[in-house]
Order: sequence, then structure tokens, then C-alpha cells
Amino acid sequence: MRQDQLDTILAQNEELIPTSGFLARVMERVEEEAAAPPPIPFPWKRAIPGIVLAAVVLVCGAVAIVRYILSLGATQFTSPQMQLPQALPPAMQQAGWIVAALAISAAGYWLARRLAGRSGLL
Amino acid sequence: MPALENIAAADALDVQRVLAGDVRAFEGIVRRWQGPLVNLAWRYTRDRGRSEELAQEAFLRAWRGLASWRQEGAFSTWLFALAANVYRNDLKRVPVVNVPMNEAPEPSHPAVQHDDLALRSRDESVRRAVLALPLRYREPVLLFYFHEMDVAAAARTLRLPEGTVKARLSRARDLLRRRFPHLEHESGSVAAPHLTRRNEA
Repeated sequence: MRQDQLDTILAQNEELIPTSGFLARVMERVEEEAAAPPPIPFPWKRAIPGIVLAAVVLVCGAVAIVRYILSLGATQFTSPQMQLPQALPPAMQQAGWIVAALAISAAGYWLARRLAGRSGLL
Repeated sequence: MPALENIAAADALDVQRVLAGDVRAFEGIVRRWQGPLVNLAWRYTRDRGRSEELAQEAFLRAWRGLASWRQEGAFSTWLFALAANVYRNDLKRVPVVNVPMNEAPEPSHPAVQHDDLALRSRDESVRRAVLALPLRYREPVLLFYFHEMDVAAAARTLRLPEGTVKARLSRARDLLRRRFPHLEHESGSVAAPHLTRRNEA
């Protein structure tokens, strides 16, 4: 390759000397990493039953929805709606939904804490 | 400066010690390669602070992946390729310059170019213009001159065929010459001493 002034300019680069603390900083980070406990493996054994259950529920739900649509015919399709007992007054129906939502949240929180506690995170 | 064989042997020994559990042996590797890795980062960024941060990150990645170094290749080749990868990814995340190539600054006073300061300013403009090249052309330029104009070494660091590196290098040089046309008129007037020595060899 022909050498010209462009080569001369680009080859003459200022040499940077690492600062005096660079080596120490790198070694500090390396030693921190070496001393750190190994990462916690994902608890597959505990998670697999839940994943399988969720998959089964999803598949069953999808099958039920498809069957529902097919039974009604495409033109008559309306989305299924959950109904609380009609005997309850509207205010009680709303309160029922709120209680149900709180119960699901509490159950989720309890389950998450339980899983985390077993893994030694809490 | 110890011979290359001694450096390679020292690298191999330190890697073995680190893999056997001696963390402090990594210090030898950092001591030997801190200069080259910081300077390579400097060429990518032209930012002193960022160069050290990136070099530190490269050493940490090397530490984590030390077991993946296959000893049939030189440790330095593996380390430079790893470092270039770290620098390239960081540059994609936080680009160094947003100035397009055709807006890269050029000294406007040819009459004063014999003045030392003006020459230095022009040289710095050319080096900064390299950072405005598209990454695929920029990297071969940075690595070619970092490896003292050795295409094979630049290709190994980039993990690309030599022909590809040569083609990209040629395109990059065309782009730079088009941006700095006055350099062509001065072609061959001055050559850096180490380049002359290399060509003689």
C-alpha cells in the first residue's frame, strides 16, 4: 500500500499513558468479581409445575374460546362477560369485584414472598 | 521491552495461574496490556476518561472469559478482538461524534501551514475526521494504524478476511482524501520515521 501524508498523520498518534491508579482500579473490580458469590440459578424445579399449570390453563382457555365462537357462528360473536349474581345490588357487585382483585393481589404477593424466601433472597 | 516470545509465555503462564484460582496473577496481564488497550480505546473515542473506562471494561470481560481463550492463537490477538468488540458496542450505544463527514472541520489557512501549531491542528482535524467515517470504514483505519500498518493484524482483531479489511481501508482513505484534498498535493513529502523503518524492513 502506498504510503503518503495521510499515513503519516494517522500513524503519528499521541500515546496515552494510563493513569497511575488504573491498574489498581482494574484489580479492585476483578477481585470484587472473584469474591462475589456465584449467581443464583433460576429455580426451575419449583417453577416448572407453575409454568405447566399456566400453559394448561391458557390452552384450555383458548380451546374454550374457540369452541364458544364456533358454537355461536362468526356473525353472532359477542365477547363472554362474567356476571355476578343479579340478586346483588349494583354497589355490592362493585364491592365484590374490588374484594376479588384485592384477594388475587394478596395471593400473588404471598406466593412471590414465599418463592423469594425459599431462594434466600429475603 | 521484552521479546514477543517472552510476553506470550508470560501471558500463557498468567492465564494458567488465574484459571487455577490465583486472582492476583491477572495483575501481570493488566500491567502488560494496559497501555495498548487504553491507547486502542483512545483511538476509538479521543476521550481520555472514556478510554480508561472502556479499557477497564475490556479487562473485566477478559477476566470473565479467560477460559474461552484457545491457546493456539496469541493471547494479544484474543484480547484485542475482545477489546475492539467492547469499544464497538459502546460506540454504538454512545456515539463519539455526530458531525457528518462533509462537515468535519478543516483548517482554512493554508498560508500558515508551516507553522507548527497549524500543522498540529490540521493533523488533529484529520484524526477527528476518521471518527466521522461510518463504523465499517472507521474500524479498519483505527486498527490498521494501531497495529503499525499491519493489515493481517487488523484483520485478526476485526475477525474479518484480509481482503475485506483492505477494501474497507481503501474506501476509507478515499473518503478522507476527498475531505482533505490538499493532503494529496503533499503526498510523499514527509514520512514518519517508524513508517520508513517498517517499509525498509
